[in-house]
Amino acid sequence: MRKFVALALIQLGFLAACGGGGGYGGGGGTPPPPPPTQTIATPGMPNVEKMTVDAGPAGVNAVNTAYISVKVCVPGTTTCKTIDHIEVDTGSIGLRIMSSVLTTAPAITLPAETNGTNPLAECLQFADGTSWGSLAIADIQLPVSGETATNLHVQVIGDPAYATIPTDCTGIPENTVASFGANGILGVGPFIQDCGSACVAAVTPLTVYYSCPSPNTCAAANASLAEQVPNPVTLFGADSNGVIVELPAVGSAGSATTSGSLVFGIGTRTNNGLGTATVLPEDPITGWISGTYKGTVYTKAYLDSGSNANFFTDSSLTPCPTNTGFYCPASTMSETATLKGANAATLTANFSVANADTLFSVTSYTAFSNLGGTNSDPMGFDLGLPFYYGHNVFVAIENANTAGGIGPYFAY
Amino acid sequence: MKLIRPVVCSLAVAVTVAAPAFAALGGDATSVQADLVKMKGALRTTSSATFTVHEITTSYGTVVREYLSPGDKVFAVSWRGPVIPDLRQMLGTYYGQYEQAASTPHVGGHRHLAIERPGLVVQSSGRMRAFSGRAWAPDLLPQNFSVSDIN
Repeated sequence: MRKFVALALIQLGFLAACGGGGGYGGGGGTPPPPPPTQTIATPGMPNVEKMTVDAGPAGVNAVNTAYISVKVCVPGTTTCKTIDHIEVDTGSIGLRIMSSVLTTAPAITLPAETNGTNPLAECLQFADGTSWGSLAIADIQLPVSGETATNLHVQVIGDPAYATIPTDCTGIPENTVASFGANGILGVGPFIQDCGSACVAAVTPLTVYYSCPSPNTCAAANASLAEQVPNPVTLFGADSNGVIVELPAVGSAGSATTSGSLVFGIGTRTNNGLGTATVLPEDPITGWISGTYKGTVYTKAYLDSGSNANFFTDSSLTPCPTNTGFYCPASTMSETATLKGANAATLTANFSVANADTLFSVTSYTAFSNLGGTNSDPMGFDLGLPFYYGHNVFVAIENANTAGGIGPYFAY
Repeated sequence: MKLIRPVVCSLAVAVTVAAPAFAALGGDATSVQADLVKMKGALRTTSSATFTVHEITTSYGTVVREYLSPGDKVFAVSWRGPVIPDLRQMLGTYYGQYEQAASTPHVGGHRHLAIERPGLVVQSSGRMRAFSGRAWAPDLLPQNFSVSDIN
């Protein structure tokens, strides 16, 4: 679904044969080397979860998507189920699980979240569509690190009991594993709740939270911060101020799979200090930093584990004939952007862009460090999972105290 | 798809209009005021020689712009803010075309969507709390209009 593999087979020697190439930012056949100092924390208790990049659940064919497993329990009980292939997304907030995964034997039924009067549901917006489903309460435990959150508000996407999608929940439905690309999503971005203050007291309630007198009569409703779906990390006791996504470098031709660590907490343990990382404070409303690339300032820059390519606008890069939307330069291009935080701190971001049609010709590969594509916003500069390979990327949560200052910020 | 870097909009003087009419993409100015009523937002209208922009700023921070040709036809819309506006309302009769095109596999995952059909272009981007997007009907664009002015 998300991969769009090129059918034409192109010789693998192509990349190596076409090094050089020139162009702004220079050319080169290999991605920049990872920082020699990268240390990936070993998965285990009390705060390091194992994270894997692979093709995703059956039928998804994902590329550059990082997954973990999450154990979900009926609150206060030992009735639990461990769900694999939950996408790790630093670009969204909250735990959301596909209903079909929960109802597959052994099924688990989570109690509904109510606003005191009615059960709640949510129309979760993504740029490319919306996910509709009821809200529920769960205790969760991450199986490797043991991090726990109790009475967590979660969304059950595609809940068949709430089959009627309200007409004002517009956008393309992404309510199945295949259309969503994962069994669920763990949103660990820089905010405490998914919607925040915008959904609390709008004159006309936003079409995000819904109050449901019956499953088929849900109506948009304001939701207090306490009722909203929170960033689960904020409930992780000692490690609640942010996360680090740690993935090893991936070679220029890509890799079948790779694995790394999702580390909870920043500077809360000996394994999650900032070290030499530079902190880039984000705009507290939007989460944006800025980036300068080839002389142009991009006002909407961010790092995002939930983006499967580096997405930016560069008319000098050849668009792919087959995998439309990705870049297909004749030779791999080495590029540089300068990221700037809200405090004017800067950080260099080196990355490369290879021919996506060529990369995808090896259909068994799912991890590519040099995948680039067009950004639907001309001012957007989105460094996605390809950039994470070889870097430990920190995300600090808004208002949280860390050794590097108060969130929200990125650092690497 | 070719994206053009936006230039600073060269609109002339901001003029507040008392009771402007609003319409979805492809609609005309006599059709509805639904957007303003529904969004309960503040309105600002700016005009240049070739087009008029009606801008609604909602209390929760989403800004919607509707671009009208001299013939009072909405040829483009844009949005930015913490939530995406009601696209059925924004795209009007084009919503079905959008729905069909956006349902096919696409690049960009949850963060980016680009639709380019002969009669409709839609670009949507962003993350929770910070979305942006724009849509236009190529055959309705005023003469000599640059789509980089849709922002």
